[in-house]
Amino acid sequence: MKNLDELRKIRDEVRKGLELRSGTHRAKIVVGMGTCGIAAGARDTMKALMDALEKAGVSDVAVTATGCAGFCEREPLVDVEITGQAPVRYGKVDVAAASRIVKEHVLGGKKVESLVFG
Amino acid sequence: MKAFRSQVLLCAGGACISSGTESVRDAFQRELSAHGLEGEVGLVTTGCMGMCEIGPIAVIYPEGIFYQKVKPSDVAEIVGEHLLKGRVVSRLFYKKPTTQELVQAMSEIDFFRLQVKIVLRNCGNINPEDIREYIAVNGYEALGKALTTMAPEQVVEQVTLSGLRGRGGAGFPTGLKWRATAAQPGPTKFVVCNADEGDPGAFMDRSVLEGDPHSVIEAMAICGYAVGAAQGYVYVRAEYPLAIQRLKTAIGQARELGLLGKNIFGSGFNFDIDIRMGAGAFVCGEETALMHSIEGKRGEPRPKPPFPAVKGLFDRPTVLNNVETFANIPYIILEGGAALARLGTEKSKGTKVFALAGDVNNTGLVEVPMGIPLGTIVYDLGGGIPNGKKFKAVQIGGPSGGCIPAAHLNTPVTYESLPQLGAIMGSGGLIVMNEDTCMVDLARYFLEFIAEESCGKCTPCRVGTKMMLSLVNRICAGKGTMSDLQRLEELAGTIGKTSLCGLGQTAPNPVLSTLRYFREEYLEHINNRHCRAGVCQAMMHAPCTNACPASVNVPAYLAYVKEGRLDDALRVHLRNNPFPSICGRVCPQFCIDKCRRNDLEGPLAVRAVKRFMSDSRDDYLDLFPAKAPPNGKKVAVIGAGPAGLSCGYYLVLLGYDVTVFERQEEPGGMMRYAIPDYRLPRRILAKEIHNLERLGLKIKTGVNIGGASSLADLRKQGFQAFFLSMGADHEIMPRISGTDLPGVYPGTRFLNRVSHNEKIDVGRDVIVIGGGDAAIDCSRVAQRLGAKNVKIIYRRTRNEMPTNPIEIREAEAEGVKVEFLKNIEGIRRAPDGRLAATIRQMRLGEFDKGGRRRPEPVPGSEVEYTADTILLAIGHEPAPGEVLAEDEYKPAMKENALLANSKTGETPVPGLFAGGDLVAGPATVIEAIGAGQRAARSIDQHLFPGKREYFWEKMELPDVAVNMEREIEESMPVEYPLLATAERLISVEVEKTITREAAMCEAGRCLRCDCKLSDE
Amino acid sequence: MANTSKSSCACNGACTDAVWGELDEFIACQERGRNSLITVLHKAQELFGYLPVDVQKHIAKALGLTVSEVLGVVTFYHYFSMQPRGRHTVNVCMGTACYVRGAKKVMQAIQEQLGIKKGETTPDRRFSLTTQRCFGACGLAPVVMIDNDVHGRITPQKLAKILAKYE
Repeated sequence: MKNLDELRKIRDEVRKGLELRSGTHRAKIVVGMGTCGIAAGARDTMKALMDALEKAGVSDVAVTATGCAGFCEREPLVDVEITGQAPVRYGKVDVAAASRIVKEHVLGGKKVESLVFG
Repeated sequence: MKAFRSQVLLCAGGACISSGTESVRDAFQRELSAHGLEGEVGLVTTGCMGMCEIGPIAVIYPEGIFYQKVKPSDVAEIVGEHLLKGRVVSRLFYKKPTTQELVQAMSEIDFFRLQVKIVLRNCGNINPEDIREYIAVNGYEALGKALTTMAPEQVVEQVTLSGLRGRGGAGFPTGLKWRATAAQPGPTKFVVCNADEGDPGAFMDRSVLEGDPHSVIEAMAICGYAVGAAQGYVYVRAEYPLAIQRLKTAIGQARELGLLGKNIFGSGFNFDIDIRMGAGAFVCGEETALMHSIEGKRGEPRPKPPFPAVKGLFDRPTVLNNVETFANIPYIILEGGAALARLGTEKSKGTKVFALAGDVNNTGLVEVPMGIPLGTIVYDLGGGIPNGKKFKAVQIGGPSGGCIPAAHLNTPVTYESLPQLGAIMGSGGLIVMNEDTCMVDLARYFLEFIAEESCGKCTPCRVGTKMMLSLVNRICAGKGTMSDLQRLEELAGTIGKTSLCGLGQTAPNPVLSTLRYFREEYLEHINNRHCRAGVCQAMMHAPCTNACPASVNVPAYLAYVKEGRLDDALRVHLRNNPFPSICGRVCPQFCIDKCRRNDLEGPLAVRAVKRFMSDSRDDYLDLFPAKAPPNGKKVAVIGAGPAGLSCGYYLVLLGYDVTVFERQEEPGGMMRYAIPDYRLPRRILAKEIHNLERLGLKIKTGVNIGGASSLADLRKQGFQAFFLSMGADHEIMPRISGTDLPGVYPGTRFLNRVSHNEKIDVGRDVIVIGGGDAAIDCSRVAQRLGAKNVKIIYRRTRNEMPTNPIEIREAEAEGVKVEFLKNIEGIRRAPDGRLAATIRQMRLGEFDKGGRRRPEPVPGSEVEYTADTILLAIGHEPAPGEVLAEDEYKPAMKENALLANSKTGETPVPGLFAGGDLVAGPATVIEAIGAGQRAARSIDQHLFPGKREYFWEKMELPDVAVNMEREIEESMPVEYPLLATAERLISVEVEKTITREAAMCEAGRCLRCDCKLSDE
Repeated sequence: MANTSKSSCACNGACTDAVWGELDEFIACQERGRNSLITVLHKAQELFGYLPVDVQKHIAKALGLTVSEVLGVVTFYHYFSMQPRGRHTVNVCMGTACYVRGAKKVMQAIQEQLGIKKGETTPDRRFSLTTQRCFGACGLAPVVMIDNDVHGRITPQKLAKILAKYE
């Protein structure tokens, strides 16, 4: 270890992974992962959301799963909750929709009106 | 590191590993890959999270869901439900020990919520075997800051400013130690970390080394920089293999990244650390002994000065701190000394880690700010005492420390306050003890420890502790004398003053502190050959007998019942207690608290067997012990309750002419006028009192001593001794308005009137104030009188109710509602003619002398309850004034209280004895019987002095064979048969008698603790 | 030299040349002298299971110490044993927390089940029984450590099952 900068490089690299444990998030994305949700492709949606976040280098957004919300017809369902704002529910979120939601809503702060669940 | 959407943190502290963390981790790996979740969910093993009792623990982020006691078989559900579908698995949640309420998030559990984590900041949060995780939480940043931006003196200054004191026990200011070492000349100095955590009951150092080893490594390097040392040693106990392994791994990783070694951070500073293993010698926790041990010598201490700062390891200046002290250092350097100094009290700064163990719900590690009240640690973090047992004391500070009883639960825990109570902070072992711990045996335990661990170098410690041990051993064996006790105290003083090192100087502390708070127990061991906790085997017939206030030979009568020999069973019972049928109904069974079968499926249903046995006979006359020939002396008993009748019974059997005088029209006292018929039918009471009369006990009712006649009159009639047992029948009334309104009754007066068959119209809504037996009885009687809505208002919580939980349960089953943490503040007549009670919400505040939390009113929380009847049953007290009105008896009184020895019944007036509720305050029938029994002995000794054994003190071993080799079969206790709630009426017994078969079978469950192996 | 020492030893065949060799190798990596004594003794006990006099003599010579110096250290520390041990060491924790939660009863039960007292080894060399003051697993009291495995919340009933796992 030659200097502090080297240490901080390691720190910043690893820190992202640990932020999850701090319990504070800027936003939370909840994916409906009931049996029907999974059947409708929620697993791929989940992966797409995570990929999009990772690509953007974002680490303070939590992605969690939840049970069936009862609207099987509109699965996969995704809720986006920016801390301090009312949650927004999206329906039929496929892989493409997932990356749009991350880009426009989670990062851009603007609801993707066309995908909002009725 | 890959970004996961979720992380599973598994506690891999020593305790959780032993509970099976590793197989749980394997199961997670399997399940995660089976669901293809490896890329989404991270799995991390961490250091100790602190809640060792309920491991293995898994915490799942980002939600922070806390799962306890996770088994490999639970993992599929956690992964399939929670991680995949987002449905939490509530059956694995933590349950609050007091309320059984489920808690899902870690942050909502009091145990975690009330902690302030500095030392344990990373334990349970990072993987201790990955230095990168430590770095990610600002690890080694403090070292970097010190090396690149601070001069060594500035480091010392921040440590001094923080007020940090040695966490190993003595509390010496760390800054001073560093400064003294830094001031020494010479190129070679050492930093030593004391991880020889030898105090039994302390395990925080192990947890830090296992859970966050880098924090210690970083701190030692900072210390080396501050004092000018290039080499550090960690001295670890060989008993901590996992700590050693993780520390080794951590040192290796630090060397690899150049955080140990040459030219750290390019600053020119060199530092390295070696591990030295201890080899099992408690004295090596002492610093000079420890350094001898690192040098490869016998770990014997040497006199100080010179202090290690001047002449330490290999005769070089040395800083020696313990693990917990070091773990504070990185925080101090990063946040500044002032940040730590903001926590705690004036002289005790920062936090302290306590290892909470013993009889407490949440055992484990807690880190709290200095100055927190002891009771908060035991009850809020610790969750209180399990199994409904009573808190007795905490032992704090290990073998050099002392115990602190219930009366001091409000004490703030600091370096200053604990020594005032005879304890020390020590390394922070905090062992909670309940009523089952014998304080004399506890002192014996620690003396044995010290005597064994004494290194032998100085005589006071080597020989003195052995002498103390042999004295305490004698006391525990029931062979002690008062002069032994005196010797013990003298020795304690000498050893403390003359020993060479801290081990010897503090060796007498456990004896001194138990003597300070529990001298009574020493005296009981010596004078009464009685161990109230039921621990000291030598003076015990059986645990149940030992626990019974009347010393009933429980194993003997159970053995006879098992054989169907009911007469023999009754005969044995009557030697110690003339009221088997009554006790078969109302006894709270102190015996079963200590029943060894508690460790198996549950205790014996002693009362059910007793009831069956005694109901088999109406006439006991041929079963009573043989009566001694008349001795010509007359004794008067005042008050025909259980204490008076028992005392009379024993005196009659000893040959006395005894008359019991009773003010009421019928004998029985509270058994007749307070306990309702549905619990104790009057014919049962009459049967047993009638048997006493046939034996020769004279009972005169309707005689008011202190009224129409007096003790002096009785003396003139030839009575040579008196036993007072008028009970505690003066009702205590709350000091509130409206207690004289119609419809408001004192509780026992209400029960008394009902027992006279008076029909009281209680109306529809009834409120009962109080939490004891009388309150429960009032509520159930009101229910039976036709009330539709009966509410008990109690100012504390369910746990504090001074009544049998079964009674509460049955009252609730009958429809009574109990509202806790509420108190009455006034009663008035409402416009509609009904009663209106002002009820205020209470909350639990500080601890009272008895160790219970004192309820305090919540401002602005008053509400009004309307009722037709209000029963005030908050308690009663003795009022012996009238009986003792004459001058010759007045010395027996002080203010309004009677002066009587609760063990012997003696009062300051010769020939005047007392017992039962009159002396003890409201208690139980069996306690009154015991008091009568002991007073009979005292009266006999008063009139005929001389050493002799009394028949009730001899324990019969029944001629029923016991096969000690036989394996114990599992069998559940018999259930008490109860009447359906709908059929319960005022004069019909709720409980029924079990069958002969059931009684014999239940009696057969007795483990026969009265039979001892020959070598015991 | 190693060969002459092993003839009189009661190690049940544990001290093969290989074991002696490993000890010598370990000593060679240590500083010569007193400083390394306790570290070497730990290693030797790990290798031989105990510290017979021959091993102590050997270590004394290798580190340049007198035999009495080595013996003095071995007898001072509880951890070192001069008696051969069983294949498994059953170590009953006698710490305060364990004491409060019934370590006495556990100790009695173990003594009955193994038929030996503290400090003894079963005739078949399967178990040795010792006690220790606190393993620091107070949260799980009462605790028994068998070799390096900590078993918590022991009851006399659980004991037989646990012991059966150790051959």
